[in-house]
Amino acid sequence: MKTSDGKAARSRYWLLAPIILLYGTLAVLPLTLIVTHAFEDGLDHFRTIASSVLFWPIVGNTVVISLCTTAAAVSLGYILAAAMWCSRPPLRRVLLAVTLLPFWSGVLVKNFAWSALLQDNGVINGLLQTLALRSAPLPLLHNRFAVVVGMVHYVLPYAVFPIFATMLGIDGTLTRAAESLGATRSVVLFQIVGPLTLPGVYAAALLVLIMAGGFFITPVLLGGPQNMMVANLVNYYANELVDFGSAAALAVTISIGVAVLMLLYHRIPKEGQYGRA
Amino acid sequence: MTPPISGTAPARSARLSRREFVRASSLMAFAFAEAGLAKSVRAGEKEIGLASFGGSFGESIQKFYLDPFEKQTGIKVLLGSNASLALAKLQVVSGQRAQWDIVELTGAEYETAIREKITVPLDYSVVDASAIPPEYKGSHGVKFVLYLNVMAWDASKLSHAGIPKTWADFWDTTRFPGKRSMYSRLQGGGTLEFALLADGVAPANLYPLDVDRALKSLERLGRSNIIWHETNAEPIQQLVSGQASLATTFNGRVLAANREGAQLGYTPENGCVSGDYLSVVRSSENKREAFDLISYIISNASAAAEWVKATSYGVPNIHVPAMLPASLTADLPTSEALKGKVFLKDDKWWADNLQTTLARFKQWQLG
Repeated sequence: MKTSDGKAARSRYWLLAPIILLYGTLAVLPLTLIVTHAFEDGLDHFRTIASSVLFWPIVGNTVVISLCTTAAAVSLGYILAAAMWCSRPPLRRVLLAVTLLPFWSGVLVKNFAWSALLQDNGVINGLLQTLALRSAPLPLLHNRFAVVVGMVHYVLPYAVFPIFATMLGIDGTLTRAAESLGATRSVVLFQIVGPLTLPGVYAAALLVLIMAGGFFITPVLLGGPQNMMVANLVNYYANELVDFGSAAALAVTISIGVAVLMLLYHRIPKEGQYGRA
Repeated sequence: MTPPISGTAPARSARLSRREFVRASSLMAFAFAEAGLAKSVRAGEKEIGLASFGGSFGESIQKFYLDPFEKQTGIKVLLGSNASLALAKLQVVSGQRAQWDIVELTGAEYETAIREKITVPLDYSVVDASAIPPEYKGSHGVKFVLYLNVMAWDASKLSHAGIPKTWADFWDTTRFPGKRSMYSRLQGGGTLEFALLADGVAPANLYPLDVDRALKSLERLGRSNIIWHETNAEPIQQLVSGQASLATTFNGRVLAANREGAQLGYTPENGCVSGDYLSVVRSSENKREAFDLISYIISNASAAAEWVKATSYGVPNIHVPAMLPASLTADLPTSEALKGKVFLKDDKWWADNLQTTLARFKQWQLG
C-alpha cells in the first residue's frame, strides 16, 4: 500500500506493538529465563544431565517411541488423507469431521479413555473373553504398545492435514494426461501422483516427530516408569530432585535437538509439481 | 468503519477513530487500575496460602480446620494441592512474595528444607505447642498429622482366598492374582520398607534401608505386576475399577471412599506410620497469620477431634484421644492396639538419603 509520506509508514509499525508485547512476554521471556537458568553455572548443569545414568536410556526411549509413533501416524494419516482427497464432497466432509473429533477432548480424557479400553478388565479384553478367544487378559496397558497407541491417537489429525493440503494442490489433469499417454494405475500412483505427495508426507512426519518427542502425560498414564521420555526427565529434575538448573539445561538440550531436526528437514530434496518446493 | 491504516483514508474519519481508540484504551486502563486498587483494598482482610494434598484429604482439611479458622479469625486460607519440597523451593527462588505461605512437607523433605534454608524457624510464642509431645515438634515445623500407609483391596472383588495380612501375602501373586498399585513417591508412604518386610526383614532392622535388597524384592514381585501411582486418589480408583487387585494407600483415603459407597478394606497391621510437618517458607509475607493457622491446627483439640473422627488419621495432640469414641481409637496410628504392630518411617535416614535413593529407584524403574 503506497503512502504519501514516510512518517505515516513508520508510525504503522506501532501496530505491531500488541503482538510483540504478547509474544514477547508469553513466549520469548520465559524461554530467555530458561536459557539463563541453564547457563547460570556455566556448563555445570549440562554436565550433570549428561553424566546422569537416566539420560541415555530415556533419550533412547524417546527416539524409539517417537519414531514408532511417526511411522504409524504418517501411514494412517496418508490413507486417511487419500481417502478424503478421492472422495466426493459429502463423504469428504464426514471424514474431515471424524478426523477433527479428537480435538474436541483434551489429552487427559483421551488417555483415560484408552486406559479404560486397554486395561486387563477393560473393553477390549472383555470382548476377547466374551468371544472366548482368550481366557487370560492380554497385557495391553502400561507398556510401550499403549503409549504408541495413545500418542498416535493424539497426533493423527496433525499428520493428516499437511498431507491432505499437499494432495489438494496436485493438478487433477496430471492423472488424465498420464492415462492418455498409456500409464497404468500403478504407474500413475507410484510414479506421478505419489512423489508429488511426498513434501506433505515430510512435513507431516516432521510435525508429528516433534510433537511425539515432547509428550509428557501419555507415557506416565499409559506406559509406566519404564517408558519415561525426556519431558518426564525434565519433570523429574524440576519436581523430584528440585534441581531447576539441570531441568533448564535439559530443556535447552531438547530444543537444540529439535532445531537440528528442522535443519535436516530443510535439507531434504522436496520436489513439487513445478520443481523444488 | 474502515480502519485508518494508510494515508489514503479520509483524515476526518481517521481523527475520529483515533479519538475513539484513545477513549476506549484509557477506559480499559482505568478499569484495570480500579480492579487492582479494589484488590489491594480487600487485602485488608488477610489471605494466606496452605499447600497440602487434594482430593478427599483436602476437602477434610477445608471443612474441619480452614473454615472454622476463617470464622474465628477472619483470615482467609487458600488451599493448594501439590505440596512438595519443589513447591516450597519455588516459593523462595522466585524472588517474589510466597503464594503458598505454609507447605506440608514429609519428614525427609522437612530436613532438606532446613538445610537449604527454605523455611523459617517457628515462633513458639505464637504457635501453641503445649499439647504436642516433643518428638513431633521441630525447630522449623511441627507435625500436624500422622498417616498410616497400609495395604488395601476391594472387598467385593477379592476371592475367598482370605485377606492379605502381611507384606509377604501382598507379594504372593498366586494367592492374590492381579496387579498391585504402589506409591512411587518414596518419601511419603513406605514402598521400599514394604518391599523389605515382604523379603523377611524384621521391622526393628529396617533402617538403614538396604535399597538394593528392596529393589530386588520389588523385582521378585514382578515389574509387570506393579502399577505405579503418583497421587493418592489413583489407588482408590484403580481398586474400584478393578485395574489393581491390591494397593498401598493411606487408610484415611480408604475410609473416605467407603463413605462414598465403595467397599474397600485394609489391614492396619504392618502399616507404615509417617507424619508430615507444616512449615512456613522464608519468603512468606504473612508469617504471623501463618503461625496463627499452624497454632490453630495443632492446638485446637475440638477441631482436631472432629477431623480425626472424619478421616481416622492420627494427630499428635495429647488431648484428642480422650475426645474420641473408643471404637475409633483402635484404628488410629497412635492407638494402643496397633502399638508394636506398625513401624515408624525414619525421617533422619530419609533426609540423608533422599536424593540418592530416588535416583537409584528411578534407574531401576527404567530397567
